[in-house]
Amino acid sequence: MGYNTLPYLFIFLPLSLIVYQLSPRRYRRYVLLAFSLTYFFMWSRQLIIYLLLTAAGVWGIGLLIERSGDRKGLRRLFATTGIGGLFAILLYLKYTNFFIRIIDQASGASLPEVRILAPIGVSFYTLEAVGYLLEVYWGRINADRSLFSVTLFLSFFPQTMEGPIARYQDTASQLNAGNPVSEQQIFDGMCRIIWGMIKKLVIADRLSIVVNELYHNHAAYDGIMIPIAAVSYAVQLYMEFSGVMDIVIGSAGMFGIRLPENFRQPFFSQSASEFWRRWHITLGVWLKTYVFYPVTTSEMTMRWNRFARKKFGRYITKIGTSFLALTPVWLFNGLWHGGAFNYIFYGLYYLALLMLEVILEPVKKAFYKKTGFDKNGRAFTLIRILRTWLIIFTGELFFRAEGFMAGLSMFISGFTNIGISRLFDGSLLGLGLDKADWFAVIAGTIVVFIADILKEKQIDLKAYLAKRNVVIRFGAYYALIFGLIIFGAYGAGYRPVDLIYAGF
Amino acid sequence: MDTIEKRIEEILMDEDDSIDYKNEKHLIDDRLLDSFGIISLVSDLEEEFDVKINAVDMVPENFNSIEGMASMIKKLQDN
Repeated sequence: MGYNTLPYLFIFLPLSLIVYQLSPRRYRRYVLLAFSLTYFFMWSRQLIIYLLLTAAGVWGIGLLIERSGDRKGLRRLFATTGIGGLFAILLYLKYTNFFIRIIDQASGASLPEVRILAPIGVSFYTLEAVGYLLEVYWGRINADRSLFSVTLFLSFFPQTMEGPIARYQDTASQLNAGNPVSEQQIFDGMCRIIWGMIKKLVIADRLSIVVNELYHNHAAYDGIMIPIAAVSYAVQLYMEFSGVMDIVIGSAGMFGIRLPENFRQPFFSQSASEFWRRWHITLGVWLKTYVFYPVTTSEMTMRWNRFARKKFGRYITKIGTSFLALTPVWLFNGLWHGGAFNYIFYGLYYLALLMLEVILEPVKKAFYKKTGFDKNGRAFTLIRILRTWLIIFTGELFFRAEGFMAGLSMFISGFTNIGISRLFDGSLLGLGLDKADWFAVIAGTIVVFIADILKEKQIDLKAYLAKRNVVIRFGAYYALIFGLIIFGAYGAGYRPVDLIYAGF
Repeated sequence: MDTIEKRIEEILMDEDDSIDYKNEKHLIDDRLLDSFGIISLVSDLEEEFDVKINAVDMVPENFNSIEGMASMIKKLQDN
């Protein structure tokens, strides 16, 4: 029962809202918890034990850290044990076979792979749990006394499958508040959900057919078809992941719970680092808060700073410090998506790009100073945005490829037998979509792109519509609903497409 | 003797002199100071004021303005 399915949208979500609203306020959080655990159980059955163990462990260790008071050693011991335990479970569930493959390749042995089933969303709730323990350890939040509350924070059903990865201080009190549902919240939530469904059903699910064909049979394609593969996947992933986030945030919003946003018009980024501040934002924030800053302020970095400043000066010191702090961030980012070399490459790819940004910073500054060009001028801004697109598309090509070698082979074959004429000779129609499908994909992408431009210019389309007369307002809402019904990818020949990020 | 605020301003100007630090109250929120900028800044502040800045101190309000940084440093010096 994914968020894009009818049982979720027409049974589970409305039922949970009704029961929640009809319950006395102080019991509403238990209603949310019951629905959340039911949702989790429907996906993961007995594997729910991992979630319950994680919740109980994190709750207990949080209290132990707090009760250790000023005894720093003890606090550290509890925090390390808790975080170590959480990562050990994640490593076991998600990476055992990756390690077996590495051992096999390195030693020539042929250890059999083991079948390990992981509960839904384990990568997401584990990060939330680690964040919670660190916040308690740092004394930024009080340990939660209620096991129910910690379990609800980790399992709130709209977030279960794909995040957003929330910080305890951002959502826990809202989840426990039991605020009543209002008409406006339901309306806003529905609008957001329909918008998300359009992105997923009209665009992403159609593109998934093209993407599966191009990446699965990659040896059959070269030249211009490789950029098509790269762009198609980047667009599919954006529409799919941000579309599901719309459904998730819209669902939570109906209960009056505001979840953190995960996307902020990423295709308007002017650099790789800006892209990561706009794309999967909550993962970026998690990595910055719990990996980047701890490394930046660690004893090791401080020692390097002291040593390098005297020896090499500020510039080299900054490059070294950036490297020390960014390497764990990007290795973690790559590996978090799964145990595969193309994910590791994806992480290292962004590490290299961000290091280049640091290294070239003085060159960039000198260039604008010397030439007197306005770096915020339209032409330069556009060039930087297009350059970032190139970076994104290349990254996503390797990310989606079926293995690192497949990615490399696709990348190289993109430069042979370019054949631009294939854009117009019907080759695109051999990828599983007919003309009407392509039209829906392109028209849908343009609509989303325009909506993103408006958001980028901070024009609130919903507020604008709210001020128009009833004909225009409802005309727009009905256009969205009918757009979804008419152009959504379903019916004969289509199967519901699984959520991509739920697999990570 | 210079005030803490004055010394912080000098450190910031060394890094990027195009920003009006005295009046800017949202250095982090407005992204005038990014993660890379913070890297140098943290080690500058630690050296200049002989304090140890920890991961727990890395919150926007401590770096959004000169006043925020000064108040963080005073707290760290008192500890």
